[in-house]
Amino acid sequence: MKIVKINALWCSGCLYMKKVWKDVLKEYPNLDITEYDYDLDEDIVKTYNPGEILPVAIFYKDNIEYKRLVGEKTSDEIINVIKECL
Amino acid sequence: MKKLYWIIIALFMIIPIGVKAKDIDVYVFHDYKCLHCKAELEYLNEVKENYNLNLHLYEIGNTNDKSYDANVELFKKVIEKLNINKNYQAPFTIIGDRYYIGFDDSTKKSMDTLLKDFESDIKVIEKVVKDEDTSDINMKYGEYSAIKFFGHELNINKMPIPLIATVIGFIDGFNPCAMWVLIFLITMLMNMKNKKRMYALGITFLVTSAFVYLIIMFAWLSIIGSLSSIVWFRILIALVALIGGLVNLRSFYRSLKKDDGCEVVNEKKRKSIISRIKKIVTEKSFILALIGVIFLAFSVNVIELACSAGLPMTFTQILALNNLSNLEYMINILIYIFFFLIDDILVFTIAMVTLNVSGISTKYTKYSHLIGGVLMVLIAILMIFKPEWLMFNI
Repeated sequence: MKIVKINALWCSGCLYMKKVWKDVLKEYPNLDITEYDYDLDEDIVKTYNPGEILPVAIFYKDNIEYKRLVGEKTSDEIINVIKECL
Repeated sequence: MKKLYWIIIALFMIIPIGVKAKDIDVYVFHDYKCLHCKAELEYLNEVKENYNLNLHLYEIGNTNDKSYDANVELFKKVIEKLNINKNYQAPFTIIGDRYYIGFDDSTKKSMDTLLKDFESDIKVIEKVVKDEDTSDINMKYGEYSAIKFFGHELNINKMPIPLIATVIGFIDGFNPCAMWVLIFLITMLMNMKNKKRMYALGITFLVTSAFVYLIIMFAWLSIIGSLSSIVWFRILIALVALIGGLVNLRSFYRSLKKDDGCEVVNEKKRKSIISRIKKIVTEKSFILALIGVIFLAFSVNVIELACSAGLPMTFTQILALNNLSNLEYMINILIYIFFFLIDDILVFTIAMVTLNVSGISTKYTKYSHLIGGVLMVLIAILMIFKPEWLMFNI
């Protein structure tokens, strides 16, 4: 299952979410996650139209964008979306 | 029987029968229009006999009557010479080397305690009148209940001020504007794999941030110190605090409608700071990197001060209202700065120890807007309608 994550090196909320994603990965270790940095990967990030709040996680179902989670979320919220996509 | 005899003899030796207590000179500068002054004069007249008080009263409020001009001149001279009560407040009371500004129930209790155990032969006013040197006199506020701190006496009545410094400083610290720069800097430093350089540059950033705040707050204090007694100026500061408070509350209200996370703002400024940090991190000369960090911390903190929406200014105004000693000003400002930087210190320390940068949830920023907003609105209202409630030593 494909997930695109957009973070930034300066974003405190993105760093906070690292711990949350660690918990998610314990349950789903085989997720196909691609991470981009808001400033360092500017051109690619623009194509995802991430908006004004970071971090952004884009979930794909059958290679089509299914859902976006914007900002800080709990591991349960993320797992629920993963379950919907699978 | 012999025992009883010795007890009676001992009691006669202990009880000072017929010994008249020493007279105490009490100097009060009062204003006939002021209700606190009236209350103090009533109290002093009540206890005059009990403590053998010699009351020296100086009316300073009746400026229309030229016969009081000498009192006003003496009032100014005392303030100038002793370097206390710089806001020219009344009632202003001097007993030995102790002084009081204002009067209420707590002052009454404090005066009672002081007068009960009064021991001082210092004649301050006489020295001022005779133009004698007063530099050796160390005037202290209130009763003998001050605590010692590095040899200096700190007034317990003023203890709410450090508490306010802690709360406002802590809330100001969650200002996200400067935090993101530190996080980016630490993240970039982590890639250097040079622990000594990481420590040096990170600590320099934090120390310079503290220094910038110290300079700005002291500069602001010296400006408003002389102006805070002017009513319109105090109201102006209160209005700024009110606007700052409302801005904070609006931010909180807006954040309720948004997802919790980092807001992407001001692309141009962000990119310029990011490229400066990259230059610092890749700079081969350690000295140049250090200078770069100092300049970065300076510019970020000066610019981002506006982001604090008046919190440091409001706190400095509270300090100015309280007529503290220079040491007390310094201690309170340092407490403010320490709590302002505590989240940064925490993030930096964890990163250095674990070699892993961890972020603080932006939820705390949201609630800091709420608490900061409510606090600032409250302080603004008090500054306008009840400034004496913010004067903890009165």
